[in-house]
Amino acid sequence: MNRALTATIGLAAIGLPTANAFAAAEAGAATAAAAKKVVVTRKFTGPTAQADQWGTVQINVTVRKTTSTVNGHKKVTRKIVDIGGSFSYHTDRSQYIMSQSLPMLRQAALQAQSANVDTISGATYTSDAFKQSLQAALLKAQQS
Amino acid sequence: MTAVAGGERRVEHVMGMPVIVDLRDDDVPSSAIDEVFAWLHLVDARFSTYKADSEICRIDRDELSAEDAHPDVRAVLAQCERLRGETHGYFDVRAGTDGRLDPSGLVKGWSVDRAALVLDAAGARNYAVNAGGDIRVRGGALPERTWRVGIQHPRERDHIAAVVVTDDLAVATSGAYERGEHVIDPHTRLAPAGVLSVTITGSDLATADAYATTAFAMGPQGAVWTQSLSGYEAMTILADGRVLTTPGFPAGD
Repeated sequence: MNRALTATIGLAAIGLPTANAFAAAEAGAATAAAAKKVVVTRKFTGPTAQADQWGTVQINVTVRKTTSTVNGHKKVTRKIVDIGGSFSYHTDRSQYIMSQSLPMLRQAALQAQSANVDTISGATYTSDAFKQSLQAALLKAQQS
Repeated sequence: MTAVAGGERRVEHVMGMPVIVDLRDDDVPSSAIDEVFAWLHLVDARFSTYKADSEICRIDRDELSAEDAHPDVRAVLAQCERLRGETHGYFDVRAGTDGRLDPSGLVKGWSVDRAALVLDAAGARNYAVNAGGDIRVRGGALPERTWRVGIQHPRERDHIAAVVVTDDLAVATSGAYERGEHVIDPHTRLAPAGVLSVTITGSDLATADAYATTAFAMGPQGAVWTQSLSGYEAMTILADGRVLTTPGFPAGD
C-alpha cells in the first residue's frame, strides 16, 4: 500500500536550504553580544600523524575565543573558525586520497559545529591521522 | 565536537572507512568499545572484498561453497538475496562493473546493528555508532535527551540539508557526492541521474542502507518507491533542489 509523500503539488515538498540561510542565522546570533567582550583568534597546530599507508597529515585549527563579562561573571566560548592542514604522500594514489579527504574532513568538522548536530549522515569520511592531529590541536586551543 | 559531557568517543579505520563510537554513559566500561571494534575487525576479515583470504573472496573464486561458510556469512548472503527480490534487483551484490561478489552494501549496516547489540548488552543506553556516514543511535547525546543527526547537504559541502532528531533510530544516506559515483543502476550500469541523495530512517541499519542504495539507484522514481516501504521513512533530494519526504520522516529543526 502506498503512503503519500509530504507534497503540495506532485512530489514537491520543501526547498533545499542554502548557505545564506545558515549565514543569516549566524549573523543574528553575533549581534546579541554581551556587555563586555574580548575576542582573540589564534591558530593551533597538531602533531604530524601517520595516515595508514597514504602518508602523513598535520592539522591546524583556528579558534576564536570570546571572553565576555556580564555583572562580573566571566564566560568563555570557543568557536572553530577554520581547519587547515598539510599532508605528505608517496604515490599518485595516496596523493589522490589525501587531496580528496582533507577538504572533506575540514568541512565535516566545521559543519557539525555550525549546524549544532551531534553526528552527520552521508559524508563523514575521516581518518585516524586527521582525528589525532585535530584532537591534539583542539586540546591546545582548550588550554589556551 | 569539542565539549563532551562524559562517556567516551573513539574513532578507528575499519572496513575501509572511519567508524566513530560515541558512548555517553559514564557507567559503561571502555571494554564495551573495545568489544565493538574487535567485532568490526572480525567482520572485516571475514567479509572483506580486498583481503584475498576472506570468506567472501574465497566464495567468489569458488574455493568455498556458500553452504560451508560461517553462519554469519550465510545469514548476510541470504538477507542480500531477500533484498534483491524486494528491491526488484536494484540491490544486487553482483552489481559492480566487474560482476564480483560484493555484499559490502549490507555488511556495513548489519555489522553496526550487531555492534549496537554489543553496547546494549554492556548496559549502554546513550550512544551513536557512525560508520562512514551510516548511523545507529540510541538514547541521547547526554546531557541532551535525543541525538541530532545532520543530513549532509549534497551541494554545499559545509552545510547540512536537514536534521533528524531521535532517541532510537538507524539513519542511512546514499548519494553521488560521497566517494564519486559509486552507486550504479544494475539494469543500466550507469550512475542514476536527477537525484543527489536519499536518506532512509528505520529500526534496522542494514535494511535502511539497502533501501537508500536502492532508492538512489532508481533515480527520481526512487522517491515514489520509498512510499511503499513499511516501517521505514525517506527523504530524497532531487537535482532540481526539491526535497521529498515520506509523512513520518523524523525531521527536526
